[in-house]
Amino acid sequence: MILTLLKKDLRLYFSDKKGILITFLLPIIMITLFAFAFGGVAKKKSAPKPLGVLVVDKDSTTTSQELITKLDAMPTIRLIPSQEQEALDLVKKGKNVGALVFEKGFSEAVTKGKSLPVELKYDAARDLQMRIVLSVLTEGLKYHLGKVDPTNTVQLKTTSLIKESTTKAHPGLVQAVGGTAIMMLLFSIAAIGGGMLDEKEAGTLNRLLIAPVKPLHILLSKMGTAMVVSILQLTTMFVFAWLAFGLPIFMDTLSLLLLILCISFAVSSFGVLLVSTVKTRQQLQGMSTIIIILMSAIGGSMIPITMMPSFMQKVAVISVNYWGMEGFFDIFWRQLPLINILPKMGILLAIGLGMTLGSTMLFKKNIIAIG
Amino acid sequence: MIQVQNLSKSFQNIQAVNDISFTINKGEIFGFLGPNGAGKSTTLHMMSTIIKSDEGSIYIDGIATNDHPSACKQLIGVVPQEISLYEELSAYQNLMFWGNLYGIQKDVLKERIHTTLELIGLLDRKKDLIKTYSGGMKRRINIAAALLHQPKVLFMDEPTVGIDPQSRNHIFEVIETLNEQGMTIVYTTHYMEEVERLCDRIAIIDSGKIIAQGTQTELKELVPTKESIQLEYSLLSENNLQELQKLLPYSINADKNKICIEGSVQELSNVITVSNELQLSIKDIQLNKVNLEAIFLHLTGKQLRD
Repeated sequence: MILTLLKKDLRLYFSDKKGILITFLLPIIMITLFAFAFGGVAKKKSAPKPLGVLVVDKDSTTTSQELITKLDAMPTIRLIPSQEQEALDLVKKGKNVGALVFEKGFSEAVTKGKSLPVELKYDAARDLQMRIVLSVLTEGLKYHLGKVDPTNTVQLKTTSLIKESTTKAHPGLVQAVGGTAIMMLLFSIAAIGGGMLDEKEAGTLNRLLIAPVKPLHILLSKMGTAMVVSILQLTTMFVFAWLAFGLPIFMDTLSLLLLILCISFAVSSFGVLLVSTVKTRQQLQGMSTIIIILMSAIGGSMIPITMMPSFMQKVAVISVNYWGMEGFFDIFWRQLPLINILPKMGILLAIGLGMTLGSTMLFKKNIIAIG
Repeated sequence: MIQVQNLSKSFQNIQAVNDISFTINKGEIFGFLGPNGAGKSTTLHMMSTIIKSDEGSIYIDGIATNDHPSACKQLIGVVPQEISLYEELSAYQNLMFWGNLYGIQKDVLKERIHTTLELIGLLDRKKDLIKTYSGGMKRRINIAAALLHQPKVLFMDEPTVGIDPQSRNHIFEVIETLNEQGMTIVYTTHYMEEVERLCDRIAIIDSGKIIAQGTQTELKELVPTKESIQLEYSLLSENNLQELQKLLPYSINADKNKICIEGSVQELSNVITVSNELQLSIKDIQLNKVNLEAIFLHLTGKQLRD
């Protein structure tokens, strides 16, 4: 009897494609992603890509140039020559983990055994990478300068370009709030999009089509609903983060509101695109779970983007999460002016527009098809 | 009011509707009778503009549905087979929503909702959520939602599926009232009793084709067998049978204690009177009518509900 029941349950289970996808494919995808993110996969075949550190040589002497060449030969880091202002801007914008600045008089300080005028200016939001770079550079300086003077105790001065202050959010908090907010929003919006399939099953969608309503109106109204909910949900989450954790949401209210609008548009269009590609609730549930978790994982909602290997960082740009997270870091951590955040908002709008166009084409084929 | 010419529609390899033509006159109740999957709903979907035909044309009040779907939508009301209402909204909220889609002015719409709810007998329940309604009540609201813009034609796709006889009768009364007010009604069903009660003219549809159409009387002419009365007596002797044959002006077939007379219900009183005169005790009387079921059986060789 038990065997009969067991056979029946297994037969039903394996006939459910969504269940199979979630049980087997999703964990495989997640394991693969996290394995790449936390390392240990690519090492067997090739060395990890070195971390790019900008270098500004204001000393411009043979000593400084030779040292830069030697440090650059180390496998973990790659020194990229730059001008001071440009280097500092790039670090402030989060493009590079840090800038190593050799001040004038470095060569003389080495010869006379004085304190070395060399400084690593870094982005504290990239904490883990910064620690690796600092450790490697300190050891490198000790090793190479030690050949000149073994008694020289090398101290590498470090300065965070973006100071933590009472008006600024901790990068970990930005990561936690921004990442979670976007991921949860994607799930909420997928559920709202699913309402369209409920309407199809209930027959109200057909009734709407019988009324003087164009299919595009139905799609846009559903997207509008999703946008209103998105704006409310994101606002609520940030207000909560302000009340509970002191996230300074009023630091740049205009930028935050605009970013919330752009993210809401992109996420809402993602919701309608998703629902336009499927024909049943079951298909939607299976697909949305996989796509949202995948997007959130590669887009930096689950783990900081900087912890991922470079190829995954390149892939991340296709996800809404990535551009949203970058925007939040620009506002709360890097404190960039609106003009510098606008391009990211523009990309979110472009992603949203692309997905809306895609959904208008698929909607007619998949959702309102009768027969 | 409606002219359908050479209409065809297929889905992938299935020919749902195959070259059908018919005309529906203004103010009549036109019935579409056929088994499940016969093509009734597809025809209705094409007439209600939500799907386009592969071939053929439909004119509603002189307007081609394929060319001017928006204009046609204003002329028609559709009662779908499914209860297409929002369960979490009240009846009033549902009707406000569906009425608003037709751009009816707010005050006018409120008045129409009141009148329509009164017509379907649910005015006192207007504030209740649809999910609290019985199946029959939901069906009535489903009808009401199609009436608010005062269509000239009402398409009803199996509007009584799954409801109790009382609610069904209520719906029939609503349909009759609407028809008395001049509304043209197109009614699809696979219940022959509904068609027999309501419809002026009928199209019988099977496998995507109209196999017969006309009034009930015209359709009955298609069947060679006529109506008959069957009587069973407690005892019928040979003498009794001869007496009956003398007194009754009909051809009588007899089998043991039973006789079968070709004739309609009007002849019944005469048969009973003669039987009483001969002091014959009647045990059972059966009227064998030629109904739509018999017509369908005659035309297709299968039962209507196969």
